[in-house]
Amino acid sequence: MAKLKIRRQPARRYEAVYIFDSALEDVTIAEKLEKFHALLGATDEITIEHWGRRALAYKIGRHENGYYAIAHFTIEPKVLPEFERAMKLDGAVIRYLITLYEHELGAPALSDEELEARRRVTDDDDDDEE
Amino acid sequence: MRRQRKPCPITEAGIRYVDYKDDRLLARFITDYGKILPSRLSGVDARHQRQLSKAVKKARYLALLPYVKGQTG
Repeated sequence: MAKLKIRRQPARRYEAVYIFDSALEDVTIAEKLEKFHALLGATDEITIEHWGRRALAYKIGRHENGYYAIAHFTIEPKVLPEFERAMKLDGAVIRYLITLYEHELGAPALSDEELEARRRVTDDDDDDEE
Repeated sequence: MRRQRKPCPITEAGIRYVDYKDDRLLARFITDYGKILPSRLSGVDARHQRQLSKAVKKARYLALLPYVKGQTG
């Protein structure tokens, strides 16, 4: 059996959304965020955007409101399991979602001329569909 | 006879990437019951419809959008 080489994984940019218990005070939430982010060993500065309290679209357990916070960071993927474990164990976090920060991916935005040209092409192709 | 295809509303709005956090935008593409609107009704192009469907599912998980709307009890 061939041995798998363990390659060092490059750091990637992630986006995390947290929903905290809205009954907590802002200071407590900020402290908790700091505690979680300390586990990451981020290579650059972590930006945090606070949405604050808002109503949930449906009840999660007994919660009808949540405190939303969004963070962006660049980290190595291998630290994620520990990070997620910390959040799962913390009762203050109602829910969280970590995704790759995809706005950075893909080709740059099309210019208006390119868009117009593309639209003309798709109009011609239209008959093939359905 | 074929009806002329509608222009994609997401492309028209100049959006390159559909963000799951933009619940106002996503709410335009779900039905009264909270289902994802088919692209044949909304006119969204295939690339954006793929992004949209993923975005709606993430937004539902984060309780930004309901899984089922108009539910009682």
